[in-house]
Amino acid sequence: MTQALATTLVVASLYALLGAGYVLVYRASRVLNLAQGDLLTLGGYLLFAVTGTIGAAPALAVPLALGLSTLAGFLIYHALMRPMAGHPIFAAVLVTVTLGILLRAAIVLIFTDRIRHPLTMLGWRNPPFPLPGGTVVSTFDLATVATAVVVFAALFLFLRFSPIGIQMRAAGERALLASQRGINFQFIFALAWALAAFCGGLAGMLYACNIRLEPSLDVLGLKAFAVALVGGLDSLAGVIPAALIVAGIEVLSIRYGNPLLSDVSPFLCLLAMLLVRPWGLLGTKEELDRV
Amino acid sequence: MRRRVSLTWGGVLLASGLYAGSLATVEAADPYRIGMGAAITGRFSGGYAPTYEAYKAYFKRVNDAGGINGHPVEITYEDDRGEPQRAAAAAKKLAENSILIINASISATYKPYMTESETDKIPLMFGGGVCPREAFPPASPLIFCSTSFGSKWDSRFTLSFIKEQAAGKKVKIGFAAQDIPLSRIELEFAEQLAKEMGFEVIPVVVVPGTAADFTPFAQKLKDAGADWVFSWAPWGVEIGVFEALQRIGWKGNYILYGHQQTEDELARLRAPNLYAFGGNALFTENLPIHAEITRLVKGQTTHPPHYMAEGWVSAMVLEAALKQCGWPCTREKIAAALATVTLDTKGLRGGPIEWTADNHYRKTTYYKVYRWDPAKNAIAAVGGWTKLDIK
Repeated sequence: MTQALATTLVVASLYALLGAGYVLVYRASRVLNLAQGDLLTLGGYLLFAVTGTIGAAPALAVPLALGLSTLAGFLIYHALMRPMAGHPIFAAVLVTVTLGILLRAAIVLIFTDRIRHPLTMLGWRNPPFPLPGGTVVSTFDLATVATAVVVFAALFLFLRFSPIGIQMRAAGERALLASQRGINFQFIFALAWALAAFCGGLAGMLYACNIRLEPSLDVLGLKAFAVALVGGLDSLAGVIPAALIVAGIEVLSIRYGNPLLSDVSPFLCLLAMLLVRPWGLLGTKEELDRV
Repeated sequence: MRRRVSLTWGGVLLASGLYAGSLATVEAADPYRIGMGAAITGRFSGGYAPTYEAYKAYFKRVNDAGGINGHPVEITYEDDRGEPQRAAAAAKKLAENSILIINASISATYKPYMTESETDKIPLMFGGGVCPREAFPPASPLIFCSTSFGSKWDSRFTLSFIKEQAAGKKVKIGFAAQDIPLSRIELEFAEQLAKEMGFEVIPVVVVPGTAADFTPFAQKLKDAGADWVFSWAPWGVEIGVFEALQRIGWKGNYILYGHQQTEDELARLRAPNLYAFGGNALFTENLPIHAEITRLVKGQTTHPPHYMAEGWVSAMVLEAALKQCGWPCTREKIAAALATVTLDTKGLRGGPIEWTADNHYRKTTYYKVYRWDPAKNAIAAVGGWTKLDIK
């Protein structure tokens, strides 16, 4: 049982990092970023590219890849999302779908479809880490949980106390009022995209180091999308319990039920939530109409 | 007058000579038209795109050397992405102009290709994906398979190997399948066979290909007390479950089918408890054919040379069949030629590929097991080739 709990925490941490990306973009701009899973894949491949092509040392490769992921978020906003201002939200969502397809194609074209392992190239190892109660997790399992905790703490502090974070919240909550107060919306939206790409990229790098890297990792984004909706699309805090619930049901269905249910369990959770509380665990009821 | 007549005759002869020459040129340029449907891109392409690349490189060399029987080989490639709907469209398109279709895609695409083969009476050769039962005796007249792995025989070999390694000790065995029909059916067969062979058996654990983390699946096998785990699935699941078992500190032995990635992964993981069995000799054996492939594909493929073995053997079979077919080569003639193919695999496999009217898999199949040998600090074979007669 303790092993199932540990695995749940690891999977939940991964989903939470991805789910945060959905929420950040949605809260700021009301756009559902359906390319979040591809931003995860991109992050993993950026680490692979930096390590393999440039041959950077791990201490340099990881921050550089994270920086590039964040930059990709900025660029995506300015190149693709900004021109969509004034158009229906629906069109902007379609742009994110197209972006995902293009990113996948570009990754296959550049890196081919082979399974990669950036961990080996970084010269790192991922040994098992025994925990009390006979539970064993990998080093990168622990790193994933720790990273999710740090990222969420940092995001909460940033949104609550920093001037830019407060501006982001204001832009998300009362857009008209915020614009009348002179908030630079373009910057706020671009920052939301950059943070989403940062979170996605970070999740991708951790996953690539812990498990593997391949072009089809975008499917993880779909599961995390269910997490974001279960938590409430406009609630960063909602992502945490939602990730734990979705991951918990997934792990338990493998452990005690039919393993094949694990693939659909995030969507069963989503369906149940939509029937009972369509705005999500901690989401705002008013947001429902907009979604 | 005589001079004019001889000039006229000379002109006629020259003109007819030129005409005959031009006819010969047209005929020589007429190609053998082959169609190939493969998962060149998409989620499953990792296992099949190398076959497509091997074919391209192989027949470039054949055509550069003048083709077969004086005719080039023209292969039309269709990317089915491993999706049945696309496969149906690809099969239809390929059947229009080809004398033979080659499939290098996942088993989910087999049905549309086989339906097309039956409807249009066009031979279909599987060269990269698992061999369907129609290739085994009694074989369907139009279905052939050059792929090194084949259902049921792989399990028979693997379980015998585990028994041999256990050397009389009681073994508890687990199975890791992917949620695709062939993988599940094969390992359910293996589970049954293992019971009959006296193994203590853990029921098959089925893993979705899209699993975010293989740990819960691995945990199930570890908690059940598996000494050995056998996986026969696409590479991602095979190796994913093994690595998850490693991460949670499992110390048993793991055996999987060695797909193209085997060499890279055995060297990366350096795990002496990971065994990979297969029908192709690994390039670590440095055979002359391996050197030849490495030289020929240099700069032409996106995958390393050792990913080419499966496709290379298939291309060799096709070349042999086309040579035997002669010119003109029709669908009926190529099917007849394939049914009598005997191919020296030059060491890529443990022995020749021999097909008969009744057996389109091979009369004898060969297996070899590899693993990481810490003493040699290299990949090493665990014994030699094991021969199984297919009846």
